[in-house]
This record gives sequence, structure tokens and C-alpha cells, in this order.
Amino acid sequence: MTFVTDHILTWVTFVPLAGALLIWLAARSDASARFMALGVAVVDLILSLHLVRHFNVTQATDQFVEHVAWLAGGRISYSLGLDGVSLWLVILTTVLGPLVILSTWTAITHRVREAMGFLLFLQAAMIGTFLARDMLLFYIFWEAMLIPMYFLIGIWGGKRRIYASVKFFIYTMVGSVFMLVAILYMSVQAGSMALADFMLLDLGAEQQTWLFIAFALAFAIKVPLFPFHTWLPDAHVEAPTAGSVILAGILLKMGTYGLLRFAIPLFPTATLALGPWLAWLAVIGIIYGALVAMVQKDVKKLVAYSSVSHLGFVVLGLFSLTTTGAVGGVYQMLAHGLTTGALFLLVGVIYERRHTREIADFGGLAHQMPAFATVFMFVTLGSIGLPGLCGFTGEFMILFGSFGSTLLPHAKLLVVLASTGVVLGAIYMLWMYQRVFLGRLSNEANRGLPDLNLREWAVLLPIMILIVVLGVKPAPLVDRMTPSVERLLQPLHAEMARLQADDPQPMPLVTDLARLTEEER
Amino acid sequence: MTNVAGMDLATQLSALLPYLVLAAGGLLVMLVDAFVKSLRKEHLSMLSLLVLLGVAVANFTGSMSLSDRTLLGGMVVNDQYSWFFNMLFVAVALLTVTFASGLYDRDGHYRAEFYPLVLFATLGMMLLVAATDLMTLFLALETMSLSVYVLVAGNRGSLRSSEAGFKYLIMGAFASAFLLMGMALLYGETGGTSYAMIGDTIAGMNSASLLLKLATGLILIGFGFKIAMVPFHMWTPDVYEGAPCYVTGFMATGVKAAAVAALLRFAWLTLPVLADVWFPVLMVLAVVTMTYGNLVALSQNSIKRMLAYSSIAHAGYLLMGVLAYLQTGRDIGVATRAEEVGVAAGGAVLFYLVGYALMNLGAFGIVTYLSKDRKHEADTIDGYAGLAQKRPVAAASLAVFLFSLAGIPPTVGFVGKFYIFDAVVKADLLPLAIWGVVNSLLSVYYYLRVIMTMYMKPAEDDSYSGGSWETVFAAGVLALMVLMLGVMPGTLSQLARNTFKFMAY
Repeated sequence: MTFVTDHILTWVTFVPLAGALLIWLAARSDASARFMALGVAVVDLILSLHLVRHFNVTQATDQFVEHVAWLAGGRISYSLGLDGVSLWLVILTTVLGPLVILSTWTAITHRVREAMGFLLFLQAAMIGTFLARDMLLFYIFWEAMLIPMYFLIGIWGGKRRIYASVKFFIYTMVGSVFMLVAILYMSVQAGSMALADFMLLDLGAEQQTWLFIAFALAFAIKVPLFPFHTWLPDAHVEAPTAGSVILAGILLKMGTYGLLRFAIPLFPTATLALGPWLAWLAVIGIIYGALVAMVQKDVKKLVAYSSVSHLGFVVLGLFSLTTTGAVGGVYQMLAHGLTTGALFLLVGVIYERRHTREIADFGGLAHQMPAFATVFMFVTLGSIGLPGLCGFTGEFMILFGSFGSTLLPHAKLLVVLASTGVVLGAIYMLWMYQRVFLGRLSNEANRGLPDLNLREWAVLLPIMILIVVLGVKPAPLVDRMTPSVERLLQPLHAEMARLQADDPQPMPLVTDLARLTEEER
Repeated sequence: MTNVAGMDLATQLSALLPYLVLAAGGLLVMLVDAFVKSLRKEHLSMLSLLVLLGVAVANFTGSMSLSDRTLLGGMVVNDQYSWFFNMLFVAVALLTVTFASGLYDRDGHYRAEFYPLVLFATLGMMLLVAATDLMTLFLALETMSLSVYVLVAGNRGSLRSSEAGFKYLIMGAFASAFLLMGMALLYGETGGTSYAMIGDTIAGMNSASLLLKLATGLILIGFGFKIAMVPFHMWTPDVYEGAPCYVTGFMATGVKAAAVAALLRFAWLTLPVLADVWFPVLMVLAVVTMTYGNLVALSQNSIKRMLAYSSIAHAGYLLMGVLAYLQTGRDIGVATRAEEVGVAAGGAVLFYLVGYALMNLGAFGIVTYLSKDRKHEADTIDGYAGLAQKRPVAAASLAVFLFSLAGIPPTVGFVGKFYIFDAVVKADLLPLAIWGVVNSLLSVYYYLRVIMTMYMKPAEDDSYSGGSWETVFAAGVLALMVLMLGVMPGTLSQLARNTFKFMAY
């Protein structure tokens, strides 16, 4: 076993890839492909649980580190590491993995082998992205993710799947190629591609600004931050259920993860200067996403726009530049992954039965499918942030952290505006729920629809349990995240200290004023 | 460059063995075809493959020494640089012969002249890279070009093919004329045709004379034709489309690589002039070349034309690497770390040429594989619909090649672009790197279109369905190599860097 545990990160990353190759080469029938994929995903989940068990709670730096010289005489290395932020995102990925595969059991019926392979391929690339600690390795995983997702949308998607898949691919690449140039530029300065060496660079303000823009653009498109979100509704609507779940559950988190892992710590000066702009975009996205979600006729599109809104909260939390806000942001990533993933699964359940997702086609569904309606209600409440369920913790920490932020101008105004998003979120979700589930069973076509079956329960129940666990017991997660998040914000605090030292009588920041007034009181 | 005049004939001949084997082999194939009537035509391809294997063995065992060995009184050099490209050209020729034979099998009409012509063209390429004298350079170029003119027109009875051959011949004659004029001027200015003499004379000059500028400029134009650099690219789409698909693959990889390799050696020779005078011009041309290639490729419905324009775009990427190298010869900050940047740039170009050969040849291999016979080539992109289900291996291989051409990891195309952009950034040409990535972004669209057609559209009745297993096997191996080199490029990139280092520094 030490062979596995010594290189546990490599195993967690590459077991799904090996599984994908195995399925492509060896699976003879659709059923065997499905079972093999499920088996591989479960093995990966078990492997990843090893990470939770042996994670050192007090350590802020990377754990389970693997570092092997790879190219250019060691300037480029195969370097993996796991800290408190990566840990939970990897776990989210490995938890959703088997559930997603289970959800495709009857939804994907043609070219099953290919689909299972691409799902596992995608899982490997996503995990690799969260673990890579070498910039080239990160970039490779980041780009490699596009390929399976492109095929998943393009082959198994809806009517306009080809348009959506190409749009997804090109849009995402637009951001990342500039990041590649930024990475190259920095690697020439740093003499290596290691993230640790990038952190040591002493970049001027102008350099930082440009590099920050290049990185932030890539991540903002992935998040997606308003106004870079236009690929998302197309991709979501056309993607098959499994694709949507992964897209919303994990892929979007790549963007916010990247902001926290790279953009903020690598470019503290630029973050202080440009972060507020991103925070404003985030708040605009929160409100815009919510308003647009409200008028959607298609349930899936509604959930897609709700993602724009929810991810806005995450970005706001990160750019509050406070530990509480950023931890809340990471927490919200997990919560959103669970609730929105579950919502897409539920939409998939009903779509598989009725082949429509129009709100107008439903009504009174609770009479026909009581269990389904109950689960839907539960997940909806989790999504809109009912205290006791997972959505609440993250949102609360984000708003709380941002409110007290000393580095974000107009923090209070932003929080007030963002809070309206919470209210709007409750409105559009519950209104949609009301139109779909409550009242009389208005459409005869819905009569006789079967309720959740055993397999669907098996997919949804674990997520429901996690939604509760994350809601009532955030401490184990938060405790493991906090040191790492603090460490990622450290360069920023150093930068603040330097600014203060350079200029002993600084202009009082907005929040310093706030503290003064508190003291006066 | 040390001229070892005292080297005895036997040593010289043994060092020249790869070229001799190839020349003799080409003649042998020709004679066998003419006189051994009982021989079945299929055997010609076997014989050609054997000749090429022999060249590979001779090259591999013969030139392990890294020091350069000037041969035939300075006409050619046997250094690691020529060794490296000999290997590449032999591999390209091997694959071309394999692909072509597969199509001939289906077609039933063997074109016996194809085999010796490919061998002679390969000989020309090898000598082009090994040339260290303007005379050899020109002879090698013509040996290569004349063979390729005929190859292009090889689809007898096809008007397009004849047109392509004719067009290529005329344009090639222009290119040769430019090249010759440049050589004449260079000879007049430096008093010699050997690289050693030219290099010494240029090194002794304080500034480039007008004649020297003109000479190098004309020679650049000559090379520009061969590598399809805008504005000397006009022949490319028609010729690539008209030529039989296996010949197109041969041209797009072999001929281009030979021309770029010779250009790079020439650039090293005339670095001061090129860097000071022609750098800005080449910069503009590189930018225009890649942009034009990518923009026009967007709207093509013929896969051969699409790949033709894409090859123009790739010439632009390669020129970026050449520019990064030229930057080391300019009197600016980069000159202080000339060797580091130069080796990175030259190594990147060499690596890219190998990677480009693998992926592009593979793509043409699949086109050949899918062609029914030489009159019905698998040319329209729409015909690739549903290929993923009909011919999964062929479709997956082509998808790998196209992702690689688009520069998506984990493929050799990504690593190649990465090295080029890395060198360009190292050479303080950041805007050029940015323009390069914007271009590779543009290119994604048209490569994806083919992949999309193969994987996401249902098969039609007239969709292509494929042929012989050798071709798809060879293409599958190439696809695996594209992926392997995308993950483990270390050895090859080290070899490429060393190769360039030994030539230039």
C-alpha cells in the first residue's frame, strides 16, 4: 500500500484517466462500460478519502507533495500538492464523480463507451488542475479539460449542441491563451515554472497589472463573471445532465479556485488595485444573474443563471480579501457544487421522463411525484441558503467577511447590494418551484409519471446528506481551509504592511475610518 | 568550421554513406521497374522502404560523432544538424511511401515513377540541410524541387493535378531565379560560395553593404517560396489541393522542414545582416503569414485546402522561432544572453518541425486512408460526418492530429508551440508571442470543425469509409507518438537544442 500512499495524489489524479483508457480499449458492451466507469470512480473516491484522513489540520502549506523534474533540466516539474483549499475541491470532484456516472445510466444510451471514457478523462483533468503546483502542468490540465467537455456537450447534448460546444471551447480558450503568455513571461523572470518560484518574484506594479489581467481574464471567463458569462447558458442548456452537473458542480470552480490560488497571491499590488473592480462585477453578476433567472421559461436555464448569481457571491468573498470572506467563498464553492449539481440532476430526472424542461409544461407535479417534489424542495432550500443547510454557511461568511473588509472600498454598499441577490434567489427558486410542483396537476401528459426510482435515490441521497452535513457542521471543513486561505492571502497582507511602512501617514482607508468611528463610540 | 582537407576518401565516403545509399537506391528502384518485368509493382514499394531503412541505418551508425565534419572540400557538412534532419526526412519518406502504397493497392494503378521520385526528393532535402556551399545548396534545392514538381502532377488524367504541377513548376522557377540572383550577388560581395568564406567575410565587415543586403533579401525570398511565407504563398492552396494527398503530406512536412532547416543554417551564417536589416521585414511577414493562413483557413470546405492554409499559418509560427533566433544577433539586450536565447529558439524550431511533421503527415495519412482511389480523394470536410462511429481509430487519430495542430495539450503540437512562444518571450518579443497565441486561438475553430463533423454529425451515405490497414496503423502509431511527445518531450527537445547548439555555437 505504501506504493499507493506515497504517491497518493498521482493515484487520485490518474486512476480515472487509466480507467478511461481501459474503457475505450477493453469495454465490450455498454453495460460493462458503465460498471467499469462506476467502479473506477468509486475507487477514486476511496483513494481520495485517504487524503481527508491523513490531512494535517494545522498545516497551511501543501501536503502529500510530489515533485519530480520533468522538462528543461528541472525548470518544469511534475509537481503536485494539496492544501486545505484543494482538498475539499478534490473531494467534491471525487464525490460527484460516481454520482454523475450513475445518473447517466439510462440518460445516455448511445455511444456509451465513449461517454464513460470522457467523463473519467474529465475527472482526471479536473483533479489535476486542483493539485498542480507547476504552472505548465496546471495549464496542461486546465486546457485538457476542454477536450472531454467539448465532446460531452457536442455528442450527447441537445439540439444546438454543436454551436454550444464550439462556443464553450473557443470562449474558454480566449482567456487561457493570454494566461499562457503571462505564465511564459513570468517563467522567464523566475527561471522556473514552479508556483513556489513564481511566488518569490518581485514584480513591479505595472507588470502586476498586466499579468493580473491576463490571469483574471482566464478565470473570469471560467467562473463566469459578468460580462463574460454568455457561454454558460448555451453550454448548460445544450449539455447532457452529466455535463451540466460537472460544469456547474466543478468546472466553474476552476475559475474561482484560480483567482484564489494564483491571481490574488501572485499579484498583491494589482489585486489591491483591481480587486474592487472584480468585486463590483461580481455584485453586478449576482443581481443580473438573479434577475435573468427569474424570467426564464426553461428550468435548466434558470438553474444556469442562478449559477452566475451564486458564483458572484464566491468572487465577492474572495475579493473581500478577508480570511472570513475568502473561506466563505471556498465554502460556497462546495455548497454550490452540491446544490446546483443536485438541481441539474433533478432537472435531468424530469427531462428523462418528459423530454421537456419548460416550466409551463408542468404544474402540480407534487401530486404525481411526491418524493421527487420533496427532494427538489430540500435542494432548493439548500440552494437559497436556508440556515442549517449548506448554502447558508458560505453566503453568511461571505457577506460577514465582506462587510468587515478593510481592503475593499465601499464594502458595505457591495454587501447590501449582494444581499438583495439572496432575496432574489429565494424568489426565483421558490416561484419556479411553485409553478412546477404546486397547484393542480395541470398537464395531462404529466399524469402517470413514475416517481424517483432506486437508482435516482442512490444518486440524490448522498448529496442530500452532504447538504445537511455542510449546513450543520461546517467546522471540520472550515478548520482545514482556514490556514491555507490565510496563507494565500499572506502576500497581500505583506504588501499592505509594506505600503504602510513606505508611507507612515497613509490616507485613511474607508474601513480604517470605520474603525475610528467605532473607537470614538 | 574546420576544413579537414586531409581526410582520406574512405572516411569521406563512409560519412557520405546515407546520401550514397539513397542515391543508389533511387536509381536501383528505377532500374528494377524498367528491366525486371516479372516483378510485381507492389514490390517496388517494399524495395523503396528497404532503401529508406538502409539510409536510416547508415545515418544512425555513421554520424554518431558530434563534431562537424566538412566533406568534399567544404561542399557539404556532416554534423549533428544534418544527422537530425536526415532522420526526419527518412521518416517522412517512409510514411509517404506507406500511405501511397495503400492507396495504389485500392486503386490498382501503380505509379512506378512515384518511388524513385520520392527517394530523389528525399536526397535533395537531406543535401539541402547538409549544404555548406551555395552550389550544393542550389543543386540540392533543384533535386528536391524537380522531383516534387513531377510528384505533384502525379495524378495523371486529373486536370487539377496537372494544373498544380504546372503552377508549382512556374512558381518554383521564380523562386529559383530569386535564389540564384541572391547567390550571385552574395558571391560577388564575399568572393566565395562556401559558407566558411561567406561567414568569415561577413564577420569581418563593419556594416552590411547594400549588395549584401540585397543578396540576403533575394535568398530569403527564395526560401520564402518554399516554406509558403506570405506573400510568396500563392501557389500553396492550389498545389496542395491538386497534388495527390500523400504528396501533399510529403510537401507540407518534408519540403517545408528542409527549407526551414536550410533557412536556419543560412540565418546562422548571415546572422548580422539578417538580424540588423531583415529582422523588421521578417517580423511583419511572420505576423502576416500566420494571420493570413489562419483567417483564410476558417472558411475552407476542402480539408486539403484547409491544411494548406494551416501550413501557411504554421510557417508563420516557425518564422517566430527564427525571429527569436535573429533577435540574438541584434545589438540589444538579448545579445548578452545570445546563446541561451539562441539555443532555445533554434531548438524550438527543430522540435516544432518534428512535431509538425508527425501531426501533419498523420492528418494527410488519414485523408489518404479515407480516399477511395486516386480520383476520389476524401477531400470535402462534410464527408467526414460520422467517421467516429464508422472508423473509430481513424477518427480518433485524426482528432489527435487536429488537436495537436491547434496546440491543445497534451499533444506535441502544444509542446512545440510552447517552446516557440517561450523562446519568443525570452527574446523580448512579447507582442509577437501574444499575436502568436491569438493566432492559435483562431486556428482552433477550423480544426474543431473537422473534429465536430467526425464526432457530432451522423454519417451520410456518401461519407468516407476508408481503406487499407497499413495506413491507419501507421497513422495510429503517429497519433500515439503525438501524444507521447506531448507528455514526454524531454529527450527530443534536448536533442533538438543540442543539435542547434552544436551547429550555431
